[in-house]
Order: sequence, then C-alpha cells, then structure tokens
Amino acid sequence: MDQPTTQVLLIEDNPGDADLVRLRLVEGKTPVNVNCVNRLSEGLAALSKESPSVVLLDLNLPDSHGAETFRRVLEHSPNVPVVVLSGQDDEALAAKAIHQGAQDYLIKGNISSKHLERAIRYAVERQALLRALEITQKQQLEFKNQFLSHVSHELRTPLTCIHQYVTLLLDGLAGPIAPDQGDHLKTVLKSVNQLHAMIRDLLEATRAESGKLRVEPRCIALGELLHQTAAMLRPTANEKQIGLEIALDQRLPLVLADPDRILEVLINLVDNAIKFTPPEGAVMLQASMVDADPSSVYVAVSDTGRGVTPEAKTLIFERLYQDGDSIDNNRSGLGLGLFICKEIVKLHQGRIWVSSEPGQGSTFTFTLPVYSLAKLLTPVVTYQNQLRPSFVLVCVELTPLTSPPRGNWKETWHQGLETLRHCVYLDKDLVLPPMGAAGASETFYVVASTDLQQSEVMTARIREQLERVVNLQSKCTVIISAVEIELPAANPGENLEQQVQTLAECVSGMILKNMDRKQFSAPKAPGSN
Amino acid sequence: MARQKILVVDDDPDLVRALRLRLRANNFEVATATDGYTAIAAAQKERPSLIILDLGLPVGDGFVVLDRLQSIDALSSIPIIVLSARDPQSNEERALKAGAAAFFQKPADNDELMNVIRVSLAPEQQQMAPWPS
Repeated sequence: MDQPTTQVLLIEDNPGDADLVRLRLVEGKTPVNVNCVNRLSEGLAALSKESPSVVLLDLNLPDSHGAETFRRVLEHSPNVPVVVLSGQDDEALAAKAIHQGAQDYLIKGNISSKHLERAIRYAVERQALLRALEITQKQQLEFKNQFLSHVSHELRTPLTCIHQYVTLLLDGLAGPIAPDQGDHLKTVLKSVNQLHAMIRDLLEATRAESGKLRVEPRCIALGELLHQTAAMLRPTANEKQIGLEIALDQRLPLVLADPDRILEVLINLVDNAIKFTPPEGAVMLQASMVDADPSSVYVAVSDTGRGVTPEAKTLIFERLYQDGDSIDNNRSGLGLGLFICKEIVKLHQGRIWVSSEPGQGSTFTFTLPVYSLAKLLTPVVTYQNQLRPSFVLVCVELTPLTSPPRGNWKETWHQGLETLRHCVYLDKDLVLPPMGAAGASETFYVVASTDLQQSEVMTARIREQLERVVNLQSKCTVIISAVEIELPAANPGENLEQQVQTLAECVSGMILKNMDRKQFSAPKAPGSN
Repeated sequence: MARQKILVVDDDPDLVRALRLRLRANNFEVATATDGYTAIAAAQKERPSLIILDLGLPVGDGFVVLDRLQSIDALSSIPIIVLSARDPQSNEERALKAGAAAFFQKPADNDELMNVIRVSLAPEQQQMAPWPS
C-alpha cells in the first residue's frame, strides 16, 4: 500500500533520547517527517499550527511533569493520537496516561524501529476509529432529536384542531350547550391540556439533551416563586384534600436563577408530590439556608406519600423513568418531568436529589446559587491583583410603547440584553443579571471599568447596536445613561476582597436608588462635546 | 364603526373554519387562504386589517409570505400574527425580524390571542416615541 508521509511531532527534552527515536523512525519502512521540540509549550505551539499524524510525548519536560503533561496535550488537541515515551522507572505513569486516553506507551531505550512503526500505525488507526464512533454517536443523537422535534410539531397540528373546537363549543360559540355536556367537554379539554403538556415535555427533554435548553438567570427573591407555585396548584391539592404549606427562612438571600425555569421545576415537583400523596396528606414547600454551604439556597418539596425506594432514588431523575403505579388514575406522564428538573437545576449550577424512607414520604431538594454581586464582579474589576482605577454604571432602560406590549415582550428585551452583551469588553465590563421578576419594563445595568468620559464610547456603541436590532424601536423606548461610581476612600490595609465588596455594595446602593427613582440624570448626548 | 377584517392563513381547513367562527363571534369579518400564494393574493384583494399566518404552508411557506407582504408598500403596515406549531426557540425571533408583530405556538390560548389581536389593531395610543439621542 502506498502510504503518505507520517507527520510525527516528537516532544522530548533529552537530546540523546530524541536522536534515538528519530533514528528508529527513519529506519522504518514508512516515510516519516519528524518535528522535534523539547518543551511542552513549543509542542503545543506546533500543534496549534498544524495537526501531526501522531505525537510522541515524553511526560517529564522542563515546563511540565507527569500526568499533567499528557492532560495538557489532550486538552489542546483531543483528536491527535498520542504515544507516551516513558522511562523504565515511570511505567506506572505511562499506564495512567493510557487510562486517560493516550493510545500507547513505549519504554525508552527499548524501542525497535519495527515496534515503533507498529505503535504509531495502531495509534493512528485507533484514533481514527474513535473519532468515527464519536461522529456516528453525535449523528444518531442529532437524528433522534430531530425526529422528536418533528413528532412534537406534527402532534400539535391535530391537537390544535381539537383544542379549537372544544373551546368553541365550551364558549357557546356554536350554540348553547347543556350543563352536563359542558362538563363532558371540560373533561375533554383537561385531557387536551395533559397531552399538550406532554408534547411540551418531550420537546423540552429533547432540548435538554442537545444542550439547547435556554436559561436566563436573574437576581430574584425565591419566596414569590414559591407562593406562585402554591397558588397555581392549590386547586389540585384541594381536590384531593391535601394540605399545601410554605415555610420560608426569614433571612433568605436573593438567588441567581431564571424565574420561568425554576417555576417549571417547582410546579413539576409539587405536582408530583400531590400526585403521589394519598388524600388528607400534606405537601410542604420550603426554602432555607444551610450553615455548611452559605453560597446556596436549599429548596425542598416534601410530601407524606409512600416514598421512594432506595433503588429508585438514583434512577428517578433519568429520562423516561416511570414509577410502577402512581395513585392517580394511571396517568403518570412520559417520565420526563424529573429529568427536565434535573437538567434545569444543572444549568443553574445546582444539585437535585431525593431523600426518602419508604412509607414515610419523600423530600426532593435542589440548590440554587445565592446572588453575589461581589463574586460576579471580581474577575472584571480586578487586574493584576488590584482594583481597577475607575468605574461607571451604565443603565439601559427598555419600556414598551404599548400595554400590553406588542409582540412577545420577553423576546424583545431578551434581544436587547443579548445585544448589550455584545457591546462590552468581557474582561473588564459586566452586564449584570436583570434584577427582580421580569416586569412591564426592563432595566439593565453594566458595570464598566472605565471613566465617565470614555464610557461615552460605550454608550454610543450600545445605542448604535440597539438601533440595529430590527423592530426594537417599534416596540419600546430605550433610555441609556451613565454615572460614575464614586467609591469611598479605601481604608489602609483593606484587602482586594474587601475592596470588591465595597464596590459591590456601592453598585447595589446605586441600583436600589435608581429603582426607587426610576430615572438617572439626563445623559449627555454623545458627540455634543 | 365598520367591522375590521382579519385574513386567516392556514393549510388546515378545519382549523381555519374554527378560527373563522371564533373571530366572527368576536365581531370581526374573516377572509381565508390555505397556501402562501393565495394568501398574498387575498391580502391584496381583501386589504385586511390584520393577518393570522401559519408558517408551514404549501406554495411558499410563512416566511416567504412575510417577506412578500413586507415588500409590497400597500401591505407592509398590516400587522401579522404568526400562529404556528413550530418551535418558538428557533422560529419566533426569525418571524419577528421578518416583520411579524407576534408569535404564538399552537395550540394558543384563545384569550391571549384575542388580546394581542386587539392590541395590534388598536390605533396608536401615542405617537411613536422618538429614539432618544
């Protein structure tokens, strides 16, 4: 077989070893081209330029040692096969690299050209196979997700028709109906809504699996969401004579979470709890802090149902898991609810789990990150371990022209926010998460590491970019303003962390004041100076 | 005041019939079309005050219709409400950018739909606020 030249990148710092390997390579039957470097940094640089057929890697280099060396190569070029060169005394290390994904290892001083040639050939072939497998898996997942999204679309069409005609009859638009006929129709509508919810779950789970689930975190108070959930599900609970209680920690901090998504999780958990609790039981919604983990809020939904078996505890959050028999009329859904909950919580950097004793009820708990402005600010307001010299708070206010707003207001402000994110420097400016529940108008804030004069460049850019968002002007007014953040003089001996904390408090204070006043002083028009 | 006319475009004739009944009950006049081509012809002939538009249509899908309507001066100011079974995550922004006033995924809540129809038809309550400069 006529083989193309094998491109070998040899990363080896010992000149004797390097020469030996080079010699063995040239002796072989396969035409090779060897590029030899003696530091990892040079190796990575070479990998950035072009991708060799194989990397021969010594693990102990002047600028990197042991398993770390392989890890960095893998991280840099996951698709290039690597054969580790190891000394007699560190074979264990080489074996570890194999476990992490290296294709093979060779003991230095013991390498024949035949051996080397074969190791390289196998490494290249195996890597190609792995790659093909990966691509096939991806394609299959893609195909499955496309199929599911197609199915959920096709199911909606007849469902819409049923929904329209049932509501037409129920609303009396096709003539008067008798009371018991109305009851029958309401039963049909209830089933239509169940079917609708299932289709939604199907699509949602598909999105979660393909990484397309969108989460827009805001700085919110959890209490409201808990009350909202309880209000929505109280009728269902009352029907089964199940008590629905809320217990809130008095000093619950704000959290960083997407209120729509978390509401989805809460509704799912409480709905499940009601479903699996016998009449006259109780469901409790709780939000609290745990001493050992001050950066999280713990939200728990507990019930007095029959509990979860130990075997089910780990499986319950998997896709398509079905509990044997739900108490409720054999309609347990698609088994996607808890999977979706888990995926949403994961996107919030939280955890979800269940604790239960069979027959004693169960408690589903998930965590959400506490909103910490200082933590968000730290990477952008500090530079080389010092606080940057000056900061400006830019405020962008979107107010819909009509009430209710034209079009989908959430989509409108979301577009505005996305645009805003493209107007800042990621390393020194921060677009703050929106504050509070989404409301009639939206105000976004940017903490920019700049002074007031220079911030005009940014506000002009924001204005220009927002104007480019088609349709934004026809839906809302945009007011952009900027004020300097005046920091109190730093106390001597104050460390960086404390300085950032002071800045965060300053910013919070200004935002609160602005929310009260809802108006910054009129901004200076750009170009007027 | 003369009754306002709404053009309903959907390739499912059963759904068109149901929507016609509901819109008539809400005091609107209704014209209908079941494909992209007749939708544009109907819009030109009927001059509706508002259009309810499906996306998956034969002979020119909803996006083609949106583009055509926007490019015809006499029709470009008619508010269009998209009512589609398609996923809003990948279609809503595109539809709004193409000029739609709102996007509803099927099945839509009737009250919400009626509410948005009314808002879209209401005469401008205020002059378009000038872009602050």
